[in-house]
Amino acid sequence: MLSDLLFRLRALLRSKAVEAELDEELRCHIDLQADEYMNSGLPREEAYRRARLLFGGLDKTKEQCRDARGLRLFESLARDVRYGYRMLRKSPAFTAVSLLTLAIGIGANSAIFSAVNALLINPYRFPESHRIVRVDARHISGKNQGAGYRDYLDWRQQNNVFEEMAIVPWTGTYTLTGQGEPQRVVGGETTHGFLRVLGIQPMLGRFFTEEEDRPGAPSLAVLSYAAWQTRFGGSPDVLGRQLMLNSVSYTIIGVLPRGFAFPGVQTCEFFTALCENSSNNRFQHQYDVLARLKRGASVERAQAEMTTIARRLEQEYPETNKGWDIILTPIHSAITQETKTEVLILFSTVIFVLLLACANLAGLQLARASSRAREMAIRASLGASRGRIVCQMLTESLLVAVSGGILGLAFAQWLMEALRLAAPEELALDATMHLDSAVLLFSVAASILTGILFGLAPALYAAGSDLNSVIKGDAGFGSSAPAHVRLRSFLVAGQVALSLVLLVGAGLMVKDLLVVLRLQTGLRTDHVLTFALAPPQAKYASPQRQAAFYHDLMERLRSAPGFDAAALVDTLPMTGGMTGGGFQVEGRPKAADWVDTLVQYNGSTPGFFRTLGIPLLRGRDFDDRDEASSAPVAIINDALARQFFPNEDPVGRKYRDDYDGKWRTIVGIVGSYKSQQPMRPPMPAVFRPLAQTGLRWEWVTARTNGDPEKLAGLVRAIVRAIDPDVPVLQLRTMRQVVSDSLSQSSLMTRYLVGFASFALLLAAIGIYGIAAYSVRQRLREIGIRAALGASYGSLLGSVLGKGVRLSIIGVIVGIPTALAVSGMLASVLYGISPLDTAVFVAVPAILILVALAASYLPARQAARVDPMVALRYE
Amino acid sequence: MTSNRIDLPQGTLDLLILKTLALGPQHGWAISERIQQVSSDALRVQQGSLYPALHRLERRGWISARWGASENNRRARYYELTRAGRRQLEAEESAWKRLTAAVAQVLETT
Repeated sequence: MLSDLLFRLRALLRSKAVEAELDEELRCHIDLQADEYMNSGLPREEAYRRARLLFGGLDKTKEQCRDARGLRLFESLARDVRYGYRMLRKSPAFTAVSLLTLAIGIGANSAIFSAVNALLINPYRFPESHRIVRVDARHISGKNQGAGYRDYLDWRQQNNVFEEMAIVPWTGTYTLTGQGEPQRVVGGETTHGFLRVLGIQPMLGRFFTEEEDRPGAPSLAVLSYAAWQTRFGGSPDVLGRQLMLNSVSYTIIGVLPRGFAFPGVQTCEFFTALCENSSNNRFQHQYDVLARLKRGASVERAQAEMTTIARRLEQEYPETNKGWDIILTPIHSAITQETKTEVLILFSTVIFVLLLACANLAGLQLARASSRAREMAIRASLGASRGRIVCQMLTESLLVAVSGGILGLAFAQWLMEALRLAAPEELALDATMHLDSAVLLFSVAASILTGILFGLAPALYAAGSDLNSVIKGDAGFGSSAPAHVRLRSFLVAGQVALSLVLLVGAGLMVKDLLVVLRLQTGLRTDHVLTFALAPPQAKYASPQRQAAFYHDLMERLRSAPGFDAAALVDTLPMTGGMTGGGFQVEGRPKAADWVDTLVQYNGSTPGFFRTLGIPLLRGRDFDDRDEASSAPVAIINDALARQFFPNEDPVGRKYRDDYDGKWRTIVGIVGSYKSQQPMRPPMPAVFRPLAQTGLRWEWVTARTNGDPEKLAGLVRAIVRAIDPDVPVLQLRTMRQVVSDSLSQSSLMTRYLVGFASFALLLAAIGIYGIAAYSVRQRLREIGIRAALGASYGSLLGSVLGKGVRLSIIGVIVGIPTALAVSGMLASVLYGISPLDTAVFVAVPAILILVALAASYLPARQAARVDPMVALRYE
Repeated sequence: MTSNRIDLPQGTLDLLILKTLALGPQHGWAISERIQQVSSDALRVQQGSLYPALHRLERRGWISARWGASENNRRARYYELTRAGRRQLEAEESAWKRLTAAVAQVLETT
């Protein structure tokens, strides 16, 4: 076979020389034959004539020789590519639009999906993350869960199936001093194995060692990347410097890598070692544990082993560990449970937009089929086999598809970079935002497949039809035959219908997410100042002292000029913190699983609701009647009222919760507001009067009647006047609080709107392409009418009218399918109804407008053109 | 120019070419003339199919080619049987003989 290969290689590389040789060889044959004839007496010319006749078709023989050389495939491929390229250059509009469609379909789709994916799921991509599992201690009764430190130590020591185990950082707020104004910062305590479980290395320095987990070890801290940048300017000599937290000095030993993220610790600025302290006895069940499986160990095996360990511990420590099981959950299913819905929505949107892009491509190819059909028919009549024609069309489609695919990939990369830059620093999205390769591949494959499939249309059409009539132009799409006019109209209407369905689907889903994200927080955010106070423990040890301090503060604030109202709350809205628990109504049985009756717990002082503009719907706010010695009362929000008291008046009813177990009487109902993420609807919440539960570290909210920012100085002065040792922390306007919490969701909103815009753009391109093309095909007809005396206006009107009529038909045809699709989406939408009017009105209107615009330009051109030119147009 | 010309199936043309070349290197025209001569004019090789066959055989390594001077001093491409070609010739020749013998037998007995 070697000789075969060499032969082919030579023919390929030195094709010109080989071609010349072939030529010479065949000519030589003819010469020799002619010589023969001349020898038998014929004159030279006659001899040559006969020799040639005898030989037969010279070109055909050459062709067959080339065939025999076995290079047919390569040569024809090269030829097809060159030809395809020329043809594409000849119709720049088609090529440009196709490439644009592919670029958008692939690029924008993939990039935006990946970005939103990163925001929603924030996929914590750790190396071999399938080996990371949560190790949960759960009581058989379901009432309690969480591991104690001792449990963690025993598990770690006794197992053979985990490479490393660690306690999930226990977050808390600390007062940071020594860096300007005292500040409240969030930090986490964790054990030394935490980074190892996740498979991550610190960027600078190191993490804790096993010894440093023990009591008595030096106080050390590891910084987050963001903290390192903002507090130490990213300087490389940060190691060894000190961090003053809660009056204890911590030495910095490491910095975490950029973009490090884990659920619950996004805002942690630093981590310290969590050690066992005297209060960590076996009765405490508060920690979550994470572990990394050894290579090759399965979750099942690990589960079995941990269950054995649990039983062993039960036997050893019956009072504390009886009835406690250990449950393993792989980390991915644990994280994504919450966001499944949103991801599903997002994914469906991607599919829809992709379909739109493919439909565009298909429409474009089909429209182009008409002029190509004639060309194909001519080729067929010249002797090209059907296979050859199909091959050539395929090459051309592949050219477009591959170029478009490459453009799409480039666009996706660029867009991804832009999106990454647009994300604010503190969201630390860098590492998690990358092109989701699955989506990318899928988009590329889908687009290419469509391009190819519909590129074959002209070839198959031509190969199967009556060549004669196609060439004459009577058949093929470029004619005025009724069947073909109908076909063109069908294409326009079809494109509109398809776009309608797809845009309605995409529109519903985008709007749904936007609605859920909407800025309606349920609060009035203007003219409100908020800040936190952390009265030092030493000075304010007793509840009376604390109460006296706050009382004094409230009085001064309320009487100060510029302030209308002031109140305290223990959880500031929109700051992401939440305490919650079960809720049991008097007279009803306690729920089996407290999680079913989860409500948020809050504490507030009288006037809080008014300060933040939360409406009082029924009953009353707290007042001076409600103090430590009087009957316990509470206020609920209307979300809770709807959930627990759908048919009765809650005011006057009693309930009990897990906070302190006391029975409280409900005295009022207030409006619900979003307390944590803007992406979640308001939770049911209950408020207790802080006077009855005690004041510790609270948030102060104050309504101002002037610009809240200007009054910041006054606030500090007031607090300093009461006690200069109490620092004022996190002084912000409510608006800043809200916008801080919204920074993530507003980004998401921007992404989603961009997504919808791309979808619309795609639809517009598709409709424009086909409508414009169809108008051009009618050029001859228009020319005839112009020659017969039709006016410019009437011509324009006729074309536009047809465009509008077709698009309306398309809309009508598309609506039933759109309704069906929205019905399917009903279970997924939770912010809007599937029959959302805005979407169902806006989308058809836009499409009709687009069709109108699409018909207008070419119609104008056509109506203006010289009838003679139009008549001769082919 | 027509009458008793037999159309050669592709495989047989290869066989004839190889056989002709067994006698010594020849160029295309000479091969065609020789086949015609030796078969007493019964076999006329379609000149168009000769050269593709030659190139095909060359590709498969059964014949090799080089340029040389022809009888009347023209540059012609001479083909020569290779060793592999010689083996192929033997194989095909015996296969052909077996085939014709079998066919002849069938024709005689009916």
